[in-house]
Amino acid sequence: MKKAYNQTWIEHMYIQSTASEWVSKNLLTKEQEAEVKEVFEEKFYRPGIFVKIGLFFFAVIACSFFVGFVSLFFYDTGSEVGFSLLSLICCACFTFFLEHLIKTNKLFHSGIDNALLYAAVTAAMVPVFLLFENADTWFYCLLGLAILVPVILRYADLLAVIVAFGLLFLFMSSLMVKFPLGKALLPFGIMALSAAVYFFARKIRSIYYTACRNILEILALVTFYLGGNYLVVREGNAMMNDLSAAIAPQISFAPLFYFFTLAIPAFYIVAGLKKGNRILLVIGLLAFAFSVHTYFNYFSPVTGSQLLAGGGMLMIILAVGLIRYLHTPKHGISDEQEGKRKFGDLEAILIAQKLGQTPAESGLEFGGGEFGGGGAGEVY
Amino acid sequence: MTTSSILSALTGKGIISQEQADAIADFHADRPFSVHWELRSILYMGILLFSTGTGILIYENIDTIGHQAIIAAITCLTIACFYYTYKNSLPYSNEAVKNPNKLVDYVLLLGCTTFLGLEGYLQFQYNVFGSRYGLAVMIPTILFFLCAYRFDHRGALSMAITGLASWLGLTIAPLSVLSANDFTDAKLIYMAIALGAVLVCVGWISEEQNVKKHFAFTYLLMGGNLALLATQVGLSSHAPKVVFFLIGAGLCYFFILRARRAQSLIFLLMGTVYGYVIITYTIFVNLGADAALGLGIFYFLFTSVGVIYFLLNFKKFLGIKK
Repeated sequence: MKKAYNQTWIEHMYIQSTASEWVSKNLLTKEQEAEVKEVFEEKFYRPGIFVKIGLFFFAVIACSFFVGFVSLFFYDTGSEVGFSLLSLICCACFTFFLEHLIKTNKLFHSGIDNALLYAAVTAAMVPVFLLFENADTWFYCLLGLAILVPVILRYADLLAVIVAFGLLFLFMSSLMVKFPLGKALLPFGIMALSAAVYFFARKIRSIYYTACRNILEILALVTFYLGGNYLVVREGNAMMNDLSAAIAPQISFAPLFYFFTLAIPAFYIVAGLKKGNRILLVIGLLAFAFSVHTYFNYFSPVTGSQLLAGGGMLMIILAVGLIRYLHTPKHGISDEQEGKRKFGDLEAILIAQKLGQTPAESGLEFGGGEFGGGGAGEVY
Repeated sequence: MTTSSILSALTGKGIISQEQADAIADFHADRPFSVHWELRSILYMGILLFSTGTGILIYENIDTIGHQAIIAAITCLTIACFYYTYKNSLPYSNEAVKNPNKLVDYVLLLGCTTFLGLEGYLQFQYNVFGSRYGLAVMIPTILFFLCAYRFDHRGALSMAITGLASWLGLTIAPLSVLSANDFTDAKLIYMAIALGAVLVCVGWISEEQNVKKHFAFTYLLMGGNLALLATQVGLSSHAPKVVFFLIGAGLCYFFILRARRAQSLIFLLMGTVYGYVIITYTIFVNLGADAALGLGIFYFLFTSVGVIYFLLNFKKFLGIKK
């Protein structure tokens, strides 16, 4: 599938960001970075997040009123055929605008192209749903995937990847729950499919799909864990079989799921640290937190407040201990500050939320801003 | 694309020498994996959980601990926080102060929080301020303003602004301006517009006069948001509409122009979106329902394309050179 965005510029963008990372480590000089920017130039239109939001917002308005505008020329939008025709025409127009704007305005996931793409895909889906009424869920999933996969290959859009991932799992589950045996084996099916998706994603090498690959890895790791999580399986089992007991009944293979609940996060964390894979590590930590929640949901020797205080205490001790221990790098792991602080504002808001008085947005600074402070000059 | 392919591209173009490329490759080969942010996140989450848990524990066991003991503990903690901040702070400056001790920021925030908690506790338990609520709000507000400027802390500043707003009976937190304020009262709308305008002015002045320039963002965002939302409500529900329209349009114009100088794109967005809503609303109200229905589709289609065109080319319109 031919790619919509200029592949060379994307590569250049990556080279530039790598170069500025090296500058912050004092591996390159500022002059060399400027030279890199000149030689490996990219001309994408990439506004800040706020302009992007504005562009997306107004593009959605424009798209919806464009549909209204086109519908003025139709007599029978009430009938299925008329409506399908209308949405197909809109889909064609949106796609045309999308391609045209990407070419002329050098867009690169800049809000407008996202909005147009979603509008086009939605418009393409409408006739499908109108023509195949009362079909099975799996059939709709398959049709949705048939539309989304070429879209992903061409535009590498994140939301499309997420939706396609969801459709894939819905497709498999809706097929499996048709059979009693399939229902029982659903957790294993989900885990197997997640593993397959993960290893497929790891194989993607093209820089064009980096973001898509990362989001696929994250989603696959999360579903793999949830598929084996004791709480999810037990509650899901009760829900699927319409068991209305106050407490979900015990499940078969329970010890196996105990093992999964404990072993998967541990495996993620260890593998993440060994391979230096941040996605694995962070998902592993979050999964571990959820495993703790799973345990205390069924076996609770302490009250909620004691758990909070004790858990918090343990986390503080662990973190402070590790920070001390890693003062000098050990086993290929360090506590060196890398990059600038991205989530400082979020932390402040999180803490502020707790106060009742909400000093939101305590220091969002855009434009000129502070840049390149971070870890500069600490290495050498 | 791997490190080695980038390096060979760079050496191929003659930007870096072979030795430098080797050095970078070596650096990448045995660079340790940093878990800095993960550890910090665990630490902050731990502090958050621990303080929440302890708070609930104290609340559950308040009978056995006693109020005096708790007040004494909170007072000690507050004093300790402010003392630590004072001891470790750098001298006042009109510029942003870069304190290498990052902990100070958090300790000051903790101190401000516990001070609020302490005051609330005293009022709830012993009714210290009686019905003089204004005084109860004013004390922390003044303290937070002082702290914000003395210790250069934007979090304390936004807490102070919040306090100032609640002294006037307003809620200023950006996401709850509409839901938490009772704007059916015309007096409150004027109050909100006035406070918002004053805050915007303060932000503007602090930028012009170079006094704590980095505070301008907080002032402008909170004040501008409050004033603009209040004018929208005023425009739709109260007379005289012309006044509200002029104030709102003026503020939007100010924010769009400001984006030219500060390159703060959030203000560009604020000015554009609020301005669009104000103008659209005014046009449609004056046209009447029938004409509005007929024109609606064309109006929204063409204006939104126009706004997109403006946002795509705002640098050209505002005369920003990259």
